[in-house]
Amino acid sequence: MSDSFVPPGIDLPPSTLPARLAELAAYLAAPAAGRLTEEQRALALGIARRLVCEIARELDRGIDADILWQSWLADGVPAAARLAAPCFARAEEHRWREQSMQQAAMPFAGAAGDARPESEQETLSAVDRAYLQLQIADGRRRDALGSPCIAPADLDPALFRTLLLDIAAWQLGRIEGDQGEGARLGNAVNGLMAKQASAPGIDAAARDYHAALAAEQALAEAAETAIARHDWPALIALAASAHGARFEAMAVALLSAEPAALPLLLAPLRLDRAALAPLEASFAQLTDRAVPGVLADHSAPRAEVRG
Amino acid sequence: MSERIVRGRIDRAGILVSADAPLLKLQRRAGAGLDRPLALPQLARLVALAQRLQRDISRPLYAADDHSDIHALVRVMPDADGANLEISDWRTGPVGQPQVPSIPDMAAAPHAWAWECDGQLRLVVLRAGVDAPPVPAGWEGLSLSEQFELQPNEAGRFAVLRALAQQSRFEGQRVRVAGANAHAAWMLSGDPQFDATGRFTGFRGIAVPVDGPGSAAGAPEPRTDPAFGSLPLSDPQFGRRIDGALRGPLSRIIATAETISGQFDGPIRADYARYAGDIAHAGRHLLGLVDDLADLQNIERPGFKAARDEIDLGDLARRAVGLLGMKAEEKGIRIDTPRPDDPMPAWGEFRRVLQVLLNLLGNAIRYSPLDSQIWIRVDREGDRASVTIADQGQGLSADQQDVVFEKFERLGRTDSGGSGLGLYIARRLARAMEGDLTVESAPGQGARFTLTLPARDPG
Repeated sequence: MSDSFVPPGIDLPPSTLPARLAELAAYLAAPAAGRLTEEQRALALGIARRLVCEIARELDRGIDADILWQSWLADGVPAAARLAAPCFARAEEHRWREQSMQQAAMPFAGAAGDARPESEQETLSAVDRAYLQLQIADGRRRDALGSPCIAPADLDPALFRTLLLDIAAWQLGRIEGDQGEGARLGNAVNGLMAKQASAPGIDAAARDYHAALAAEQALAEAAETAIARHDWPALIALAASAHGARFEAMAVALLSAEPAALPLLLAPLRLDRAALAPLEASFAQLTDRAVPGVLADHSAPRAEVRG
Repeated sequence: MSERIVRGRIDRAGILVSADAPLLKLQRRAGAGLDRPLALPQLARLVALAQRLQRDISRPLYAADDHSDIHALVRVMPDADGANLEISDWRTGPVGQPQVPSIPDMAAAPHAWAWECDGQLRLVVLRAGVDAPPVPAGWEGLSLSEQFELQPNEAGRFAVLRALAQQSRFEGQRVRVAGANAHAAWMLSGDPQFDATGRFTGFRGIAVPVDGPGSAAGAPEPRTDPAFGSLPLSDPQFGRRIDGALRGPLSRIIATAETISGQFDGPIRADYARYAGDIAHAGRHLLGLVDDLADLQNIERPGFKAARDEIDLGDLARRAVGLLGMKAEEKGIRIDTPRPDDPMPAWGEFRRVLQVLLNLLGNAIRYSPLDSQIWIRVDREGDRASVTIADQGQGLSADQQDVVFEKFERLGRTDSGGSGLGLYIARRLARAMEGDLTVESAPGQGARFTLTLPARDPG
């Protein structure tokens, strides 16, 4: 058993006896089943916390997001089942990318990169512009400390609305029936929903990037380059758009795919089989990777490519 | 260390026609194979040079594949139909510990902004720490110099631009940020980012307010603006101008030279590879210009003083020849250098004197005819030691000698050979070391540049 790993800022409440017993019962029911590692658990928890706190602050600056989170940690996160899939997807994607980053090649001495200080947007090709927007959207998926997070713009609108309403309900519960406050929070929820609908998220950026490459008939080349460079966000974006899937869903689909399933999953990109080798190697090195399977617990999320 | 010799054969077109297994493996890892152009850039350049000079060349070779760094000694032996390769001392070592990118010290700097940019210095991330002022709106995709007005450091340099050229970590880059909610002065630091192929993909770092909470401790105030030719530092556009001056040529160096000359995407046509030479030339010119501008700022700074080292002008002259000898050989120029038993002790800052000599010798090589000769002599007269570099170039008229040490003076030349700042800087440096730089010349009779410095009695 690995040591408990709790990132700074997450102060877990002590476990209750019923919770311990329920956990043990689940363990005894399937002792050989693989479970979340402490790293996976901590990453997903941190992602959920950052998401909830960010949404709470956007909803109402008067909400004490830290108290909200502590409260939800103690009582259970209301939308836990639906929140699990995006949080797990982001956490696993983060682990994957961190692994690749740590194994990144050292630069060749004297071999300058693709560094071209060009700020003039008008000099960018449509593909370059779309790729830049993808990078910006991806950048919003890390907080100021570089920790993985989920940008509200990337969240499924229904889940976003659920979280908003849960947070608003929690806040209303604290102030006990202030009708004026209720109306104000209701308006804020509607405002944020409208804002989310118009915000450019990773899915829109992925679609634009895919479309720009398709127009240039450069999809396969770009995907192969992304694999060679371990530019996983670009690969996920292209694969997701090719399948009409959400970025998050494609990330999980790739991360849980068996090697034999990868060619099929990436078939729309028309990749050469050999080009997949770095991808397979990268997955092979990623420890504790989930593989597809039938879910015994139907309350848990099912990773699907279709978004 | 292996005593085994790895052999290969290149034909006149630069095609690898035969190779022992280790060389062939490396060629394949570079995306090529037998009967394909040599895909190892450093080796290809050596072969081309050896063929051009029609003489044997031995050089260290540094290469890498997916798993290891490779160090070896290569000997290229050209002949009428191509060249033979002999690679000895083939050593492999594991790829060095990769750099683990991180945003440094953010936990300790909640007042900071986190930022990331791509390889073109376009911002892709700008986020405020928990206690930091909000980031300005509309930063997405702006270049670093558009979002942050770059300020030179005390030495007149821009840490971020130097780091970009060297693809290295930087810190202490002072910037100004416009906007009501932003602190006026910030300090940028960043780590270079590389992808799995070793390609530079940008920087990732933090911006810390200089004056506010969590400010960069001990950060010096911006110095007063010295005159800077037609580019006053007081001009708030200065940072953008120098950045702008970098962009075109530097992008040609770094982007095009990599993809064409480096052949990282596989073998290419020989004429494309030749274009890379032109591109690299433009890049070198630009970097030289940036260095010159930075030097200019530095030496014109009030209170600039050179160090007083114990130096040997003869030794420094030989070092300069060692650095530029290959360039001279390419033009068939012979350099008559002071002998090792001919020392000339003097006082001056070692690296600055070498800089002056490199400038003088570089000019001599650039403007000398093919197959000519350059002489370097050291001498002493009273308390002055001197080194003279004489060439057989077209020489300078009296009018030209009057202006040759002036700023941005290129004597009517419009080629990309220099910035017009080198000799001005060289003379300023010489005088900062209590010496001087003079020229004697006549049209058609070459030029003699003499650097004099305080002589030092050998002790």
